[in-house]
Amino acid sequence: MTTRNRADLPPEQRRALRNASIRRGGVYALAITLSLWILIPIWLIATMAFSTPSNVRSFPKPAFPSPISTDTMTFFINAEGILRSTGNSIVVALLTFAMSTLIATPASYAIARFIFRGRDAVRLGILSVRAFPIVILAVPLAVTFINFGMYDSIFSVALLHTALVLPTSVLVIASVFASVPFELEEAAQVFGCTPFQAFWRVVIPLTLPGIAAAGLFAFVTSWNEVFGAMLLTLTNRTLPAQILFSLDKASDPFKFAGGFFMLIPSLIFIFFIRRYLFSMWGQVTK
Amino acid sequence: MKNQKLLPYLLVLPTMLYLVVFFAYPMVSALGLAVTGETRYLALLDQPDPTASEIGTLPMQTDVTVTDRLRAEETLPNGRTRPFYWFYVTGVDVNGDSITGWVSQQNLFVENRTESVMGRINNGTPVREWTMSHINTMFSDFRFQSAIFNTFLMIIIILPIQFLLAIVMALVLQARPRGNGIFLYIFAVPMGISDLAAGLVWYSIFTQQGFLNSFLVSAGILDRPFIFIALGNDGWILLAIVLAEVWRATAIVMVIVVSGLQAVPTDYIEAGQVFGASLWQRIRYIILPLLRPSLQVALILRTILAFQVFAVVVAISGGDVFTVLSNETFRWYDRGDGGYNNPNVASAYAGLIMIISLAISFFYLRAVRTQEEVAKSS
Repeated sequence: MTTRNRADLPPEQRRALRNASIRRGGVYALAITLSLWILIPIWLIATMAFSTPSNVRSFPKPAFPSPISTDTMTFFINAEGILRSTGNSIVVALLTFAMSTLIATPASYAIARFIFRGRDAVRLGILSVRAFPIVILAVPLAVTFINFGMYDSIFSVALLHTALVLPTSVLVIASVFASVPFELEEAAQVFGCTPFQAFWRVVIPLTLPGIAAAGLFAFVTSWNEVFGAMLLTLTNRTLPAQILFSLDKASDPFKFAGGFFMLIPSLIFIFFIRRYLFSMWGQVTK
Repeated sequence: MKNQKLLPYLLVLPTMLYLVVFFAYPMVSALGLAVTGETRYLALLDQPDPTASEIGTLPMQTDVTVTDRLRAEETLPNGRTRPFYWFYVTGVDVNGDSITGWVSQQNLFVENRTESVMGRINNGTPVREWTMSHINTMFSDFRFQSAIFNTFLMIIIILPIQFLLAIVMALVLQARPRGNGIFLYIFAVPMGISDLAAGLVWYSIFTQQGFLNSFLVSAGILDRPFIFIALGNDGWILLAIVLAEVWRATAIVMVIVVSGLQAVPTDYIEAGQVFGASLWQRIRYIILPLLRPSLQVALILRTILAFQVFAVVVAISGGDVFTVLSNETFRWYDRGDGGYNNPNVASAYAGLIMIISLAISFFYLRAVRTQEEVAKSS
C-alpha cells in the first residue's frame, strides 16, 4: 500500500522521501563508522591480551586471537609489583570514592536547596578549581607531604585524588539534588518528619543512583590518574604508576596486557553511569 | 530559624576547607617554590672571635683573597689542644661591594692553612629569598623549546579534529538512530579510559611490530616494517599521539555538546526546516550559534586538559625522543634515575602551565564576549 502511495506522489515529495531515507542511511553509516573508530583499537589490544605470548611477539600480528589464551594476561598479573599495585589502586580509588562523596554531598545539598549569601561565589570557586591541571597540584603536594612525613603513602594519593574529583562531585550531586522537587521534602515534613528525616528517608533514596554515579566517576578518575600517583609514591605505587614506571624495561606482552587490564573498569563503569553523563556535564555549561 | 541561616554554610564548610588545604595552599606554595630559593650567607666578623660583630655577608661559594691569618688554639674535650686558624679575607658581596673581615677555618676552604692566599667560603646560614634562577633554568633548558613547541602544536592539531568529531557524534545521537543507547555507550566509553591505557593501545598499533606495520606489510604496501616511533620521526610520533588523544578525549566534548544540543529548542530547528534551510544551513546558522556557550566550556576544559597530556606521550614515545611540558615537569621532579630531583624547577614548569592555561581561558572568554558585544551593537 505504501509503495503504491509512494508511486502516486508528486515527484518533489518522492524526492523528499528518498532524501529522508538517504539521510537515515547516512546517519547509520556515520554512527557505525564512529563506533568502529572507538571499538577497533579496543579490539586490537584485547586480541593481544588474549593471544599467547609467542603470538604477541610474532609479526605480522593477527587481527584475531588464535588460539585464545590467558597466558599473556597471567604473565602480566604475576609480574613483579602488579598484584600489590592493583590492590593499592583499588584502596586509593575506594578511599577517593568514599571521601569525595561524603565531603561533596552536604555541599551539593546546600548549593541545590538553599539560597544564601555567597552561594554564587561558592559555586564559581568550586568550578574554577576544575580549571587547574593536576600537574600544578601534584608537585607542591608532594613537597608538602614530604614535610609532613606522609610521602610514599597511598593515603596521600587518595587525598590528592579527592581534591581532584571533589569539584566535579559537588556540581554533579548538586544537579542530582536539584532534580528532586522540594515539595516532596515539604510534604514529608508536613507529615511529621524532621528536616533530617525528610532528607534521609525521601531525598536520599531518590538520589542514591545519581550520587553513586558521581562516586563511580570518582572511582574511575582515581583508578586512571597517573601523574600525581607517580610523583607522590616511590615504593607504594598504584597500578598506573607501576605500569608507567616499568614501561622502559617492559616487554610488549606486558604492555599490551597492562593496557587492556586498565581498560576493563572503564568498559564496565561507563555502562552503568552512561545515563547520568549528560546531567553530570550538562550542569557544567550552565 | 537562626539555625537555618547557618546550615548552608556548615554544609559547604567541609568542601571549602578541603579545597583550601589540598588545593589553594599547594597552588600558592607551588608558585612560591618556583620563585624562591635558599642561599647560604656567611657573616664576616670584625675580630677573629666567634662573638665579634658582623661586618657584612658573603654568599657561600664566593672566592676570596686571604690577606692575613691568625693562629689560635682550641681545646678539645679530652683536654688536648690543637691549632685553629682565623683568616682575614676580602671578597665581593651580592651588591658588588668589596668587604673584608675575619672568617674561621670552619667556614673557609683553603688548600694550605699557613700559605694559601686564595680561599672559598664553604658555609653559611640559609636564607630563603626571591630568585629568578629556577625560571631561568627552565627557560634555558635544552628541552624547553621543543616541549613548548610540541605541546602547542599538539593542541592546535588535536582541538579542531576533536570538536568536529564530537559535533558529528552529537548530531548522530541527536538524530536518534535505532540502537541510540548502544551508540551512546560506545561513544562515551573513552571517557573512562586513562591516558596511559590509551597510550598503550596506540603503541600496539604504531610500534615497529605493531598492527599498522602488520597491515601494511600483509597488504604488500611495505616490504618490511617501518619504524614510526624513532628519533627524528617527530611527525609520526605526533600523529600517533594526536590519534590517541582524539580517540580518548573526544568523548567529554561529545557529552558537553549533547547536553548543549538538548537545550536547543526543537522549534528553532523545525522552523529552519520549514523555511527550506538545508542540513548544513541548519547546523551553521541555527545549531552552532546556540551551542556556543557549551562549545566555549568544552574548549576551555579541553585546552586545559590537553596541557596535562603526559602518560600518552610516555607510553608511545618513552618520553625522551618527543617531549611535552607536563613530561618536563615530571622529569625535573622525578627522584629516580631519569629525573633531576629539583622540585623548584618542576614548580616553575607547573606555574608556566598554569599561567598559559589561565591566559587561554581568559582569551576564549574575551573572544566570545566581544563577538556578542559586536552582535548587540550592530
